Amino acid sequence: MKCAELNRLLSPYIDGELDLQSALAVEAHLQECPRCSAAIAGVQTLRTAISRACEPAKAPLRLREAVQAQFAAAPQQATSRSLGFCLAATPGIAALLIVGWLALAQPWNAQSSAGTAQGTRIVYHLAGGNHVKANLRTLKNHLDAEPNLQVVVVAHSDGINFLLQGAQDTEGQPYIGALRELRARGVEFRVCTNTLTRQQIDTRAVVPEAVLVPSGIAEISRLQKKEGYTYLRL
Amino acid sequence: MHDDWERERFERLMLPHLDAAYNLARWLAKNDGLAEDAVQEAYLRAWRFFGSLRGDNARPWLLRIVRNACYELRQREHLPGPAEDFDEQRHDAEMLAAGAVITLPVNPEAAVIARAESEMVRQCLGALPRDFHEVLVLREIEGCSYQEIADIVGTPIGTVMSRLSRARRLLQGLIAERVRPRETGT
Repeated sequence: MKCAELNRLLSPYIDGELDLQSALAVEAHLQECPRCSAAIAGVQTLRTAISRACEPAKAPLRLREAVQAQFAAAPQQATSRSLGFCLAATPGIAALLIVGWLALAQPWNAQSSAGTAQGTRIVYHLAGGNHVKANLRTLKNHLDAEPNLQVVVVAHSDGINFLLQGAQDTEGQPYIGALRELRARGVEFRVCTNTLTRQQIDTRAVVPEAVLVPSGIAEISRLQKKEGYTYLRL
Repeated sequence: MHDDWERERFERLMLPHLDAAYNLARWLAKNDGLAEDAVQEAYLRAWRFFGSLRGDNARPWLLRIVRNACYELRQREHLPGPAEDFDEQRHDAEMLAAGAVITLPVNPEAAVIARAESEMVRQCLGALPRDFHEVLVLREIEGCSYQEIADIVGTPIGTVMSRLSRARRLLQGLIAERVRPRETGT
């Protein structure tokens, strides 16, 4: 074995990923090559340094509780094909596919679990800043179709943008009129404070038609778990 | 529809990996709050698509979803993206064309690295380009096998092998660059 070949096999050798024959060949080379032995020692030292510096983190209790509450409340609908497709895509595309799939899949579920005496409760999850006009139109259409609907829109990430003072659509039209109309029909808008903090947006920039909640994701989870809301994603 | 049996199976297979999921998310999202959001999103997705999990490879399956959720959330939050993906082959070709001999660092680096402070090691690890950063985190901190890393990252196992090798080399170089000036006072 030459040094160049050992160079290629060094990491898998150290990680115990080589087959026996290759590992023995590496060891035979190391017996007679101080330079490659030193390279091995260098990587071992690096591994020790990483291990010393990077203690694995434990999930905080609040996260554990939130995760458990979330899947305990969320409906499960999937096919192996849809996930395989999503996983195979790049992260961004996978996200779009998941969002799109959920948007299509959830109304079907809403029908199956709908119908309290007070009207169906829907929590709309809004995380993206695009298609705001279409989303507001969807809300209006949903209300037209089911006048007793109780709707909460929980916005985080870019989804909060249209709930900021002075927000306008791409044609320069302010959103506030549509927001007020939906508020008048009982739609509640809740904005994630974590997002505001992360994006360094003052809470006063949020329109008075919306209220603040500590965490958008936790609020969605709470509404599903505690108040029987059905989840839909815009 | 799903039943209690499916929920119980999800809890049994997925919850034991919550710490691993959070740990990976902290490294990839590079922000504790974002990491928590990513883990929540990942578990929600995992639950919805649980039917597609085959066999007992729950951990890499979940970590792959966590990885994608982290990158997507960072993008959504307009946080600076990971350092640009490194074109390994092009880099090697350029180096060779310039007459460089591509070798591993040798012992002097080891002595320098042994003196590096933990905070510096963490910073250097975080500064690696994404492709190298993630394989090193998965191998050294999450303890994943090469096959698991290949499944999580979505690359052939040979690519995992070469990326890990290069990641270690880059990290050794980064740490040595930072340690030496401190010691010589420059």
